[in-house]
Amino acid sequence: MKSSELVQGTLDMLILKTLALEPLHGYGIALRIEQISKGVFRVNPGSLFPAFRRLERAGRIKPEWRPTENNRRAKFYQLTNLGRKQLKAETEEWARQLAAITRIMRAPAISDL
Amino acid sequence: MLGLFFALVVKEIAMFRIRSVVAGLRALFRKRQVEREMDEELRDYLDAAAKDKMRSGMSREEATRAARVEMGSVDAVKEEIRSVGWESTLETIWQDLRFGLRVLRRNRGFTAVAALTLALGIGGTVGVFSLLDAVLLRPLPYPHSERLFRLFPLEGKRKRGVEQASYTDFRDWQRQTRTFESLAAYQGESLNLTGTAEPQRLEGSAITPGFFATLGVAPVLGREFRSEDTESVAILSYTLWQRRFGGDAGIIGKPIHLEGRGYTIVGVLPSRVHFRSHPWATPVSDIFVPVVPTPARNWHSVRVLGRLAPGVSKEQALAEMNGIVARLAQAYPESEARGIAFESLAQYVVSDASQTAWLLLGAVAFVLLISCSNVANLLLSQGAAREREMAIRTAVGASRGRILRQLLTESLLLAGSGGAIGVALAYWAIPLVGRIAPPFSSLFSRLQDANLHLNWTVLVFSALLSGLSTILFAALPAWKATRPAQSSLATGRVSRLRGGLIALEVALSLVLLVGAGLMLKSIVRLLEEGVGFRTEHLLTMDVSLSEAKYSTADKQAAYFDELLRRLSLMPEVVSAGATVDLPLTRSETLNTVEIPGTHQMMGTAGYHAVSAGYFRAMGIPLLNGRELGIADSASSPLVGVINRSMAIKYWPTENPVGKTIVVYRYVAEETSAGTRVQFKPHLLEIVGIVGDVRQLGLDVPPDPELFMPYDQWPAQEMSLVLRIAAEPSWLIPRVEKEIWRVDPDQPVTDIKTMDEWVEREAAGRRFILLLIGAFASIAAVLAAVGIYGVASYGMRQRTHEIGVRMALGARRQQIVWLILRQNLSWLVIGIAAGLAGAMALTRLLASYLYSVRPTDPSTFALIMLVQLAIAGLASFIPAHRATKVDPMVALRYE
Repeated sequence: MKSSELVQGTLDMLILKTLALEPLHGYGIALRIEQISKGVFRVNPGSLFPAFRRLERAGRIKPEWRPTENNRRAKFYQLTNLGRKQLKAETEEWARQLAAITRIMRAPAISDL
Repeated sequence: MLGLFFALVVKEIAMFRIRSVVAGLRALFRKRQVEREMDEELRDYLDAAAKDKMRSGMSREEATRAARVEMGSVDAVKEEIRSVGWESTLETIWQDLRFGLRVLRRNRGFTAVAALTLALGIGGTVGVFSLLDAVLLRPLPYPHSERLFRLFPLEGKRKRGVEQASYTDFRDWQRQTRTFESLAAYQGESLNLTGTAEPQRLEGSAITPGFFATLGVAPVLGREFRSEDTESVAILSYTLWQRRFGGDAGIIGKPIHLEGRGYTIVGVLPSRVHFRSHPWATPVSDIFVPVVPTPARNWHSVRVLGRLAPGVSKEQALAEMNGIVARLAQAYPESEARGIAFESLAQYVVSDASQTAWLLLGAVAFVLLISCSNVANLLLSQGAAREREMAIRTAVGASRGRILRQLLTESLLLAGSGGAIGVALAYWAIPLVGRIAPPFSSLFSRLQDANLHLNWTVLVFSALLSGLSTILFAALPAWKATRPAQSSLATGRVSRLRGGLIALEVALSLVLLVGAGLMLKSIVRLLEEGVGFRTEHLLTMDVSLSEAKYSTADKQAAYFDELLRRLSLMPEVVSAGATVDLPLTRSETLNTVEIPGTHQMMGTAGYHAVSAGYFRAMGIPLLNGRELGIADSASSPLVGVINRSMAIKYWPTENPVGKTIVVYRYVAEETSAGTRVQFKPHLLEIVGIVGDVRQLGLDVPPDPELFMPYDQWPAQEMSLVLRIAAEPSWLIPRVEKEIWRVDPDQPVTDIKTMDEWVEREAAGRRFILLLIGAFASIAAVLAAVGIYGVASYGMRQRTHEIGVRMALGARRQQIVWLILRQNLSWLVIGIAAGLAGAMALTRLLASYLYSVRPTDPSTFALIMLVQLAIAGLASFIPAHRATKVDPMVALRYE
């Protein structure tokens, strides 16, 4: 299965989207992104965790420590209201951009004329 | 809508900031907890990943390993997380600092040499800057001093600017001007303080009413002069009030005796006011009395200063004042002013001191550049030695920017410690500079008044300078050190960068050395200059008689006759004389000389009233005719002795002895309108010719001078000259006692040996020489150290090669030449550039030089040889050491 690099600047949006359903811990988020994209996007921890801290600092997600089965605790992330707003704005912006890019790519090329 | 949006944005930013600030502070101060949470989270991630892999059939070990491999270096991930917050920048800087300190402590030798080198450069620059700050940057102690101007009347067809204006003209200017808020006039006035145990001479100024209001100064006690005041009122400086009256709060209205007359004290000035009637020629005025009006418009006695009205430009004021002067010239033909010129009071007070300060700053900037290039060279050598370290750091993942930052932090530390030592050096050296500043210069006056010391401006400057030098010396080496390592093949060539740096050092120090050489030659030439008399064992002093006590010419002459008689009877005194103007004191009275009966002017001559024994006491030779004698009394015909220059200039083909000329004598009459002064013509017979002396100064060629007996030309103020059999200075108290025996109320001032006057003549140039010489020596030493460093580095790099060559039978000279050669072309380039630079720059010294041209070939040649010798020696020592290399050791070296 071949995986690709994430589109630049979309990681934050993807994390927010993943957390829109339910709070998840780090691996859960990575796994969900991989599964939903059908393995196209694999996020490595080196970019995932800094993104968590960035979003946390910006108040878009907030951490919550939950006990795990083997008597440890895991850090779950949860979307805040601010994060929800941000997700909405970014989703709209992304749709707009995607539509624009698609239009450009569908335009007839010179060779087609 | 838009408003709401902005409110939200602002709120977001604010919230974002606060949260980020809090989280950052938590990361900084609860570091362990934050780190533990991070560890936990990552471990949890690995566990989860491993479990996931086990579910797809891997064994526990395989799954764990695979999860780790996927994550990569845990430390790297942690570093990435940490670098998200603003606090990580702080931490990196802190780390860099600590690491930098460790590196510097490990290389103690390098650190010491580099820090000291920088300390010399930075310290010198800080020292000179504080001089510049005191002289130029500190404002005058008057409010809105940018509106204060000195006014100079322009005279004659050529509109020559003169210092003083006529009092009556000044009064008309004052009445008519609208562009000036106020005008005031002043003149120097030294007064004898009498009626006290030991008579004292006070420096002071005579001023017009409203003078201090014009300056913007209010007395701390009492008031300033008003137009309805009598002539017998006085204002004290703060210092005099403290010194003489112990700061008596009830001083106002009390009497003070000046020149034997009673004055009433009406005011005391604030301590910040240091007013000098002449910015560099007189001490600070301690006493102020009213100007005595003089009605004659051709009698120029007062200096004028004015405060522009707010909002008026200098040009507007100039236009108005020129109009006023033109109208006055039409109305009063005897008024001599034909125009007017302004100079800001600040500029007038600073005068040529700014030129000196900038010159020195330029010179010391060279030293700073040299010290920076020296340290740059040291860092380059270090960089080569640390190549391995850099390679390792790059290998473990440090980015180039990160290493660059580390190196620059080290350099900043170096510059910081160098700067700190430099400031300490400057702190120690600044008072020394204040002490050697030439007296009677605007520089000296400014330094005295500004109270030279380190202040915040100077400290901030030092910090900025340390930063700037870091960029100068560290940027290139750091850039080079972080460049992907080149194969370090010993090519045997000095790299272009290092070569360029030593060429720069050689060039800069050569320029300074040439400057110092030119100054030295000037001073030697100046002191070689014959003054025209014997200066050794000659004691001089000033005696100024008070007008009230010695009101007539007879009384004055009688006093000096008696004084000279008594002094010449002292066993240690060989001969005694008196003159109005001592040579080398830069003062004389110029007046015209005419051919009798024709009203045709021959020219001008300096007029000097002297005693009969003056020439003998001074050791001025009589060339022709006779000296002045006791027979030349007030009642006998006027006679005079001229100097050789006057004889040659006005009687090139004849013998002037026995000729008669017309001279002008100053007569002052008290009238109801004030003192009326005029010059009246008299016939005078020339009876002798004496040798030339340097009347105005060592560096001023002799001009025509005319000497006349003081019995015929009464003088109230005279300088005594005593030729002493032994060392003159220890005789001073006895001479004073002898003078007070004639009149116990008579102050004696300015007691000096003639050698001191000669010294003072050279003081201005010596000051420049001392400082430029000091800078040049430091520069030369630093450059030598730099050359030595590069040469020994080159030698170390080639130890192996030298070993091979020697094993193959190379001779010692060949080895020496091998090492010498690598620097040689750079040294030659440096010397050539230095000579060109000196050619271009020594013009700036021109006004300080004496009978030496700024491009004096012999100085240039000599300094070039000196520099070549220094550079040669500095490269020869390592070259010589290279020949001591044991081939066996050298071959095993790698």
